[in-house]
Amino acid sequence: MNDSGSFPGYNQFLELVKTTLAKVIRSSDKVPQHVAFIMDGNRRFAKKNNMEVNEGHNAGFESMCRVLELCYESGMKSATVFAFSIENFKRSLFEVNWLMELAKDKIKQISQHGEMAEQYGIKVKVIGDRSLLPPDVLKEVELAEEVTKNNTRAVLNICFPYTGREEIVHSIQEIMKETAAGTIIYRDIDEQTVEDHLYTQGQPPVELLIRTSGVTRLSDFLLWQLSNRGCAIELVDCLWPEFTPFSMLKILIKFAFKKTYSPSNEEDDELKKKTAEQKYN
Amino acid sequence: MSSEVGGVKARVPPATKTQLTASISGLTKTVRQVINSDAGDVVKRQRFSGKIEYAIYKALLVCIYVMYAISRYFQREYNRIAIKLLDLAYNPSNSPQLIRQDVNKLQKIPKRIAAILEYKSEGDIGGGLPGLINDASDVVCWTVSAGIKHLVLYEYDGKMKQSVGELRAGIHHKLAKYFGAENVPRFAIKIPHTNQVFFDVNEGPMDSANEKSKKHKVAVEISLLSKVDGRETILELTKTMADLCAKGQLKVEDVDTKLVNQELTQLVGHEPDLLLYFGPALDLQGFPPWHIRLTELYWETDNDQVSYYVFIRGLKQYADCKMNVGK
Repeated sequence: MNDSGSFPGYNQFLELVKTTLAKVIRSSDKVPQHVAFIMDGNRRFAKKNNMEVNEGHNAGFESMCRVLELCYESGMKSATVFAFSIENFKRSLFEVNWLMELAKDKIKQISQHGEMAEQYGIKVKVIGDRSLLPPDVLKEVELAEEVTKNNTRAVLNICFPYTGREEIVHSIQEIMKETAAGTIIYRDIDEQTVEDHLYTQGQPPVELLIRTSGVTRLSDFLLWQLSNRGCAIELVDCLWPEFTPFSMLKILIKFAFKKTYSPSNEEDDELKKKTAEQKYN
Repeated sequence: MSSEVGGVKARVPPATKTQLTASISGLTKTVRQVINSDAGDVVKRQRFSGKIEYAIYKALLVCIYVMYAISRYFQREYNRIAIKLLDLAYNPSNSPQLIRQDVNKLQKIPKRIAAILEYKSEGDIGGGLPGLINDASDVVCWTVSAGIKHLVLYEYDGKMKQSVGELRAGIHHKLAKYFGAENVPRFAIKIPHTNQVFFDVNEGPMDSANEKSKKHKVAVEISLLSKVDGRETILELTKTMADLCAKGQLKVEDVDTKLVNQELTQLVGHEPDLLLYFGPALDLQGFPPWHIRLTELYWETDNDQVSYYVFIRGLKQYADCKMNVGK
């Protein structure tokens, strides 16, 4: 939205509209509590606009911040973003190193004093197979989590480096360890146990996935969480840096409208049950 | 009184239920909510201004909903007309040759496809078990005509698994319509959960041991899946592994993605290359999560019928998609 600053006060006006609309959506009481994002298309965006690749990633990061701000303002509790897949290690060493540097930078930026995490009370969590991270990046990640650990209003999960299958295997391994140690009794293992050992444990179930740039695959992202009945999947046909808060607003309105008025079979909506259960616990 | 209204409503086919009528009734609901919440909130909300602000937001919300409902109504009608036209354009009219022609234009076809089918309530047109079996046999015929060897049919409650007899008869009947009564292609129906394999109508069930000798002859292998093959199967695997681990027969380090994949492939089957959904907005409905890692997903917005154009357009999308895992 920085592009059209020709009228004085235009940006402030847009900002005002944005916050008002966020509050309007919030009043509907039908805001998805956990939204997942696959932010696809940063490199293509850079190519399209004759930019350097890192400028594309920067634009993507800014776009993410704007969208997340809107989400948190409208009352969302959890967001999960796919930053780096375990498969991405297949890229050239140069690019991997460079992406690591970038991520390190951005994680630092989010959790810094006065930035987004503090402003909205967001707890930053980096999920995935962290043993694959280089030590200096890991240090930065731990620092960011330490700084934001007392924030309670919302959670931002950064998947870095992550795959959905690895998450399921990780959960199985944890359960095995605990069964062997005797902290879990074999008979008591149920779906909830598996869920409690996923990286997203303790957070509301994922209700909405947004993937940009028109790819129609999950690409190994949150497989367990997204296969829930009643989870909405929105595939948007624009590149991630072009995805504005207003595109997000449209999706939120669509979501709220559907939840309010659709004559769907509510009794077997798995997500609703899970949300209700969580409220009781 | 209310049950009577409900009864009348249920008999109206879903196509005539427009978004607008639903939204109008919904809007009155919201307006009522606003009024009620205002009255109820007087005690709770001490701050008068806060209440006013809330009412303004609610009012704005209603305006947005009205605008959205109107635009959605036109969008939906537009989509429906487009769907009807597409349906006419792509009508296969029970002919495998036409489907072959469509498929031959494509650069690549998937090895395995999956379809999520829905059990519609019995009052609806094409609802109930006969409707479901009709849908399933249509998909089977298109798959055979396209030359795809593996098909997964997913239905949330496993209704098809419980009535394999009817399903076999239904598929046989449809195939006879497509290919002629003399040369009905042979098919096998697999139920991975109970480890059963059924062949064409006249033959009895077989266990997996005898399966291999006959397998090469079938034109299509159909797997029936339901929600028990999804998370519940992963749960069972977890329990078994935890048990083995507690007994010291399996080490935690030995469990990796490869092993779990191997086990789940054996229990449920391979990952499909393309997943078709015949509903208006994609809902995976508990489809086995392990098996949708890189699957192409295809559905048509606002469509609610199992129609051939969704099938062929899904195949087209698959042919055009570029796969670059991680890169």
